[in-house]
Amino acid sequence: MSGSGPLHPIERDILKSLAEAGLIPIETLAASTHLDIDQVRRGVEWLKFKGMISVEESSSFVVLLTQRGQGAATSGLPERKLVGAIKGGNDTVEKVRQSGLLNNDEVNAAVSAARRNKWIQFSDGGRMSLSGAESPSPEELILQKLRNGSLDLSALVEEEMRAVELLKKRPDYIILKEAKQTRISITPAGKDALKNLDEGHVERKLTTEMITSGRWREITLGPLDVEAPAPAVYPGRSHPLVNIIDEVKEIFVGLGFEEIDGDMVQSGFWNFDALFIPQDHPAREMQDTFYVSGQTQNIPATKDQLRRVAGVQDRGWGRGWKLAEAERMVLRTHTTPVTLRKLAATKPDVARFFSVGRVFRNEKPSYKHLVEFNQVEGVATAPGLSLRDLMGLQKEFYAKMGIKKVKFWPTFFPYTEPSLQSMVYNESLHKWVELFGMGIFRPEVTRPLGIRNPVLAWGGGVERIAMLRFGLDDVRELYGNRLSWLRGVPRCQL
Amino acid sequence: MPVVNMASSRLGKLIPNVSREKVLEMLPFAGLDIEGVDEHGIRVEYNPNRPDFSTDFGIVRAIRGLLEIELGTPRLKLAKKSGHSILVTSHVKKVRPVIVALVARGGRLEDETIKQLIAMQEDLHNGIGRRRRKASIGLHDLDSVSFPLTYTAVSDDYAFTPLGESFHQTIAQILRETETGRQYGNLVRGSDRYPLLIDKNDTVLSLPPVINGDSTRVGSKTRNLLVEVTGTDKKASDDVLAIIAMTLADAGFGIGTVTIVGGRKKIETPALEPTEIVADAKYLNQVMGMDLGSNQIIRCLRKSRLDAVARGNRIVCMVPRYRTDISHPVDVAEEVALGYGIYNLKPTFPPAATAGQKSLLTNHLSAVRETLGGHGMIESLGFSLTSRQIQYESFDRSSENALQVEGPKSAEHQILRDSLIPSLLFALSRNVHEEYPQRLFEIGKTFHGGGDIHESWNIAAAVAHVDASYTEILSILQSLLRSCFGKAMKAKAAQSPFFISGRSAEIVVDETSVGAVGEIAPAALANMKLRVPVAAFEIDLSKMLHDKGQIA
Repeated sequence: MSGSGPLHPIERDILKSLAEAGLIPIETLAASTHLDIDQVRRGVEWLKFKGMISVEESSSFVVLLTQRGQGAATSGLPERKLVGAIKGGNDTVEKVRQSGLLNNDEVNAAVSAARRNKWIQFSDGGRMSLSGAESPSPEELILQKLRNGSLDLSALVEEEMRAVELLKKRPDYIILKEAKQTRISITPAGKDALKNLDEGHVERKLTTEMITSGRWREITLGPLDVEAPAPAVYPGRSHPLVNIIDEVKEIFVGLGFEEIDGDMVQSGFWNFDALFIPQDHPAREMQDTFYVSGQTQNIPATKDQLRRVAGVQDRGWGRGWKLAEAERMVLRTHTTPVTLRKLAATKPDVARFFSVGRVFRNEKPSYKHLVEFNQVEGVATAPGLSLRDLMGLQKEFYAKMGIKKVKFWPTFFPYTEPSLQSMVYNESLHKWVELFGMGIFRPEVTRPLGIRNPVLAWGGGVERIAMLRFGLDDVRELYGNRLSWLRGVPRCQL
Repeated sequence: MPVVNMASSRLGKLIPNVSREKVLEMLPFAGLDIEGVDEHGIRVEYNPNRPDFSTDFGIVRAIRGLLEIELGTPRLKLAKKSGHSILVTSHVKKVRPVIVALVARGGRLEDETIKQLIAMQEDLHNGIGRRRRKASIGLHDLDSVSFPLTYTAVSDDYAFTPLGESFHQTIAQILRETETGRQYGNLVRGSDRYPLLIDKNDTVLSLPPVINGDSTRVGSKTRNLLVEVTGTDKKASDDVLAIIAMTLADAGFGIGTVTIVGGRKKIETPALEPTEIVADAKYLNQVMGMDLGSNQIIRCLRKSRLDAVARGNRIVCMVPRYRTDISHPVDVAEEVALGYGIYNLKPTFPPAATAGQKSLLTNHLSAVRETLGGHGMIESLGFSLTSRQIQYESFDRSSENALQVEGPKSAEHQILRDSLIPSLLFALSRNVHEEYPQRLFEIGKTFHGGGDIHESWNIAAAVAHVDASYTEILSILQSLLRSCFGKAMKAKAAQSPFFISGRSAEIVVDETSVGAVGEIAPAALANMKLRVPVAAFEIDLSKMLHDKGQIA
């Protein structure tokens, strides 16, 4: 019985009914338990599985009356009607026909049946006389028996069987049908289970009253089906992408970086000009960058900063730098203006900052590209920091994300020199994928803002990391807010 | 990024005795991305700072250096003066003042070379040329030109046969009726005169930057070329001409100068003198984190196709004119690193001298997430840049003051949101077939105009199910303010376009209104195709914390 679990109330009722009953049909069981037949069937299945009852399935033929047979059982078979007609003086077949007491097509059958029963005798001139017609024929007897319901063929005696055979030959009085029967009896295991149940007073639910009154001492709490599944519930939770961002933040903090945050709408000055990006650079065109319509603002920079950046722009890209262009407000295309403003404001000798936030690109959204996504960025400044240090910080960062294989390729960004991109090996995709871009801020960026030491900087999209982690192939899924995904995606990716 | 096609058939000739695999391995370490490889060749993406990579000649030049097949600055010996000249009239000064030119002789224009030159012309037009505004290129058959040429400006009834046509058209017609005319005509409109380059016999070479004349067209039989670059920017035009000169030299042409005569001023173009950049060996080493001797540094530079000499502790690097990307010692440092091989640089980890820390905002927001998560709410993420339809029309709100962006490529992203509630309802509307109750929250920036743009961090939450009510959401809101910020709140009845009239309130904390709470108006629910009641709140966290200096 071990492992079969506690009893369901239905199971308990069935076992109780069977305890004294022997082998009984399932219908009888339903009646005695006051359960409906479907509940009983279910309970029987469970108990059979647990070995507490045994179930016998048998099939047999039953005989039952048709509508015509029912009629005959009430008003008599044709030969009985014939006897009546003869008694009434219709002593020839002809007279019987004329009497209308029998249907025309019954007459012949009635005559031959009456002769078989030896009820009538023919004399000269076709006259019929009766003898011994008072006692019912075997066919009549079985007909009467069938009036109360079907009969199991196996329960019939030989004579009755013959009568059934005869009735079968007549058109449409009886039908034979195969019937399945389920009979149930209790097993020793079932009796044991019942015995266990009966010990003490079993309660289903523990109540406050039981606890405080001390009645809990007198009762037994019935076991529950602890192995049955429970209904699904969903926890509240932070967004999976936010979890990845948190993870990234933790790594930065562990590497000695302090988090900074800033505006998403920035002046062209901080987003582009201060980063040595010429005013006619293609990236500054409306096709790639979002400008807020009609919005120009005073640049949050000192006169000195404005003058020096303007000077560097003019020297680097030819005269013609325009303040008006720098004042146009853009949805930041990277988080670097936030970092740069922090560095320009604090001019630290030694510092490590990071930020994570939304950046914008005027693209058509696709499975690969979002218009708005999260960029993570780190900067480190200290005397003598080098390209190799930058590579070392990357390796350490990736190692903490569980990425072991990293390689670096040279690339280009307008505001860093040298510039590298990192390629990391994705173990599940079995290929190298591009991750963060990085470099050392150009002197044209740092000098006008009074930043003295080398500034290592790197950054990239967080969504790309999330896609790899969650196995997504459409980046839009991260912002689709489908509850089926949000409720199901594991908080910890094992 | 622009792409160069390197045909397999050419690779074998240009880099003999080197396997294709070796070339593929080296390309990324020259800063080139491999975009595709097939039996016909390799497609390579190059960065816009290296316009000298705009042909396979340029790429091969760099790879041959990295493989040490050829070191130092490539040789380009200018032929002595060609004696040819271009006279520049004063009329053209206001329209498109700059012209520079060269002649190239004795090369062979194989089909693939022509393809490469055409692709280069296109890339240079779009890159340095800024879509032909700063500089544009005209290639001509030198032998069909009679010198001296005149670069002048004419009125739009001037007629000539443009490239690819068989009859004369006026400039007005060309600008109106041809594709390039419509595309580039605006670069020379503005005055009533148009730039024109004509020869001694008044044969038209070009109407820059729109189209060439047909008479000087270049074909496979062309042996000698005239290349002219016109523009509005002298430096860009010189850059373009220098890159073309180097490319044609690599293609086997001898390059000769052309004299540009403007009034009393005469200049010889192309001017290909290298620039000297002097860098401290110590500085170069410091950038890389290396300790290389002068000879090693010079060797690395030579692998990057740059000549250099040591002068004491300094390295003098001679930058050829076509390397337009090198202007500062730091650029030289990168060339040393590339010559050394990025793959040879061993990463070093600089230990932290500072303590790391998350921002106070991050900590506050984590607490908010924890609290709302504790109430069974799931965090959703919406976009700051959203649609007018979701943000305003669904709630029958006026979008008059909406902050919109210029030229968005999709209608889903056209305005900056001023509230998170529409985003939450949009998220709910995408989940109508999911199990209820649904409880969502979002943390995000909102944007407010009217003067300088003001950004604030908002928190919004919504509950959606058959029994969702004002009371339920108010309980959650009170709990959030109490557990996260130790604040009691007062609800003050107020109207809002988001909520049912009489079922919404202003949220007041410390005598300041910090948000709103209520049951969402049924019209909005219907617009969003939602079928259950929704109650929501939104608070402006910046307002609550700003005074304390906790959020910038």
